[in-house]
Amino acid sequence: MTTTQAPPTEAAKARRVPGQPDMWVLVLVESLIFTSYFGVYLFYRAQHEAAFLQEQAHLDLWLGIVDTIVLLTSSWSVARCVQNARAGRYPAAVRDACVTAALGLLFLALKIAEWAGHITAGHTLTSGEFFTHYFFLTVIHAVHLLIGLVVVGIVVRQLADPRRRDQQVVETCATYWHTVDFLWVLIFALLYVAR
Amino acid sequence: MRPVNGERIILWTLPAAAVLWVAAFFLFPGFLPPMSPRSSADEVASFYRENTARVRYSMIVFNWFCVALIPILMLVVERMRGMAHRTPVLRYCMIGCAGAAPIAFLTASVFWLLAAFRPERAPELTQLYNDLAWITLTCGVPFLVAQSLFLAVAIHLDRQETPVFRTWIAHFNVAVAVALVPAGFAGLAHNGVFAWDGFLSFWVRNSAIALWIIVMSVVLARALPRDGAAAEATA
Amino acid sequence: MRPFARGENPKRELWLMWFAVLAFYQLYTVVFFVLTRTQPPGSPSYTAAEVPGWFASHHDGLLVGLALIFVLGGLSATSIALITYTIRRMSVSRAFAYSYLILYSVSAVPGFLFICVALTAGAMRPERDPRLQQWLYDLGFLSFSGTMGVFLVGSLVWMAAILLDRNRVFPKWFGYLNLCNAVTEVVVAPAWIFDRGVFAWNGLIAWWINVVVFGIYTGVFINLLRNVIIREDFGTGPLPDLPPRRARRHTAAAEVA
Repeated sequence: MTTTQAPPTEAAKARRVPGQPDMWVLVLVESLIFTSYFGVYLFYRAQHEAAFLQEQAHLDLWLGIVDTIVLLTSSWSVARCVQNARAGRYPAAVRDACVTAALGLLFLALKIAEWAGHITAGHTLTSGEFFTHYFFLTVIHAVHLLIGLVVVGIVVRQLADPRRRDQQVVETCATYWHTVDFLWVLIFALLYVAR
Repeated sequence: MRPVNGERIILWTLPAAAVLWVAAFFLFPGFLPPMSPRSSADEVASFYRENTARVRYSMIVFNWFCVALIPILMLVVERMRGMAHRTPVLRYCMIGCAGAAPIAFLTASVFWLLAAFRPERAPELTQLYNDLAWITLTCGVPFLVAQSLFLAVAIHLDRQETPVFRTWIAHFNVAVAVALVPAGFAGLAHNGVFAWDGFLSFWVRNSAIALWIIVMSVVLARALPRDGAAAEATA
Repeated sequence: MRPFARGENPKRELWLMWFAVLAFYQLYTVVFFVLTRTQPPGSPSYTAAEVPGWFASHHDGLLVGLALIFVLGGLSATSIALITYTIRRMSVSRAFAYSYLILYSVSAVPGFLFICVALTAGAMRPERDPRLQQWLYDLGFLSFSGTMGVFLVGSLVWMAAILLDRNRVFPKWFGYLNLCNAVTEVVVAPAWIFDRGVFAWNGLIAWWINVVVFGIYTGVFINLLRNVIIREDFGTGPLPDLPPRRARRHTAAAEVA
């Protein structure tokens, strides 16, 4: 994943986007795809507003808030990781990356607990239109989070080994993590908050 | 002991496999003459009730050995290494086709075996299995057509003093590909030459495949380096 | 490989593959969108009584279009071969290239052979019991849309190869686009569960959005394959940059002369 180009010149260091510019294609395309999912959700919600609201009442807003806080904290720690790596404080950066991964796992555990609660209460993927969208969006987001855990693993591996360290890769990975966090905030706003 | 590269052994598996294919072909009661797509469900069901054993045993043999062509195709791929090509893309095309083509045979044999597994079931269901088997076998030619064409192109591009295969083999492969084309249209006709029991879709197609196997095995036998020569060349 | 005869374009095999890829995807689009009208797909919510009507209204197109795929579908091997070649040109292990070759060769069978067999069988006997026609209809569409694993893992193999490659064969952003394509294979999974709505096999999310992503992805990689062929220098190091347009026309003219 490291690049082979000659050592970065001053011009390259002054680049505007953090990480690999190519990575922003992923951010853009994934954001567009999620936007279209949100659009579909909002369209069907407008069509069957009463049914959606009735099912939505079964969601626990506080659980959503806790999820959001956990992920926002993880975003903060991955940002600290980038800063520490930039300043050459590698042990601290590795610790931050591990905290990020741990918070990601905590989020996943909370999500699994939430899904299990809904399923035992009879709200499944096929039980109603709101819950179909709910399970779809949260599961697809969880898939992105799982990819994110692999990505944070790459960061840890890069930072732990002095021969591998590459600031650009660290920043690229952090950008992905922020994207996952950003997508969650949108899902939270749409599914839990907007009533 | 003299080192053996095994290619000749692979080549000699072909006559053995061919004997088994021919045996399966004659043992299967629905090939001579081929079953008609015009038969009613009851006729098809009674065919399977009366010929259960022969359908089963012939298709078990076919299921065992329909993939036996893959090692032979890999011999062709190995010969293609010697061609004056700049890139291995045509070899990759052949490998891709060799992997996909026998699955059509395999699937067809599974449908026939399923049809004969419970011949007492509702006639319409037996007819469905029978249709699926015949369509899969007859129309399932895309990779056979493509592999003949890829080989023809590869031979055509092999411009060197002593080409691996002679030019007429390229023409022969194109002719085989053309002979296989009508079989793809078997779904369009219940009778006539295009139907799956028709002259083009059954007789021409199967003869073309048989002829391809015979001709290519002779050609391969000539193109294979002798074991001793191969050992000297690598030494 | 033998030394190459003089005066011949050393890239002729690659260009041949590329034009075959172009032809294959054109054929694929024409057959599935225009001739058979199986894309956008028929509705999964049809009752057994309605399916024979669908087969009746699509009868001729289905039989002719699917026959064309039966005859020419093997051209799909050219795109697999060309992509395998480009992965081999990368600095990564050949294991990636061979994985891609086998994954996509396997994918041809569930990816288009099953829909061709099932819908041909349905169109051939319109008088068949409607419940059996529905069985064929489901087999056709679900095998076509619901064959996910080979494309999922195939895209991930290609993505990993591109991101690890140091020979700059593909731009890194295309590596990331592979991830987007892989995710669409996850998104299509609900098509196995729903027979109506946005997640069904003809739904807004499981079909329309996915097909847009796949269409962009395919268009992009066909174009990038062309660039790789232009840039190919038959070495083992990093590929050179794409020459500027004018120089390219000049060398093309020189090659013709």
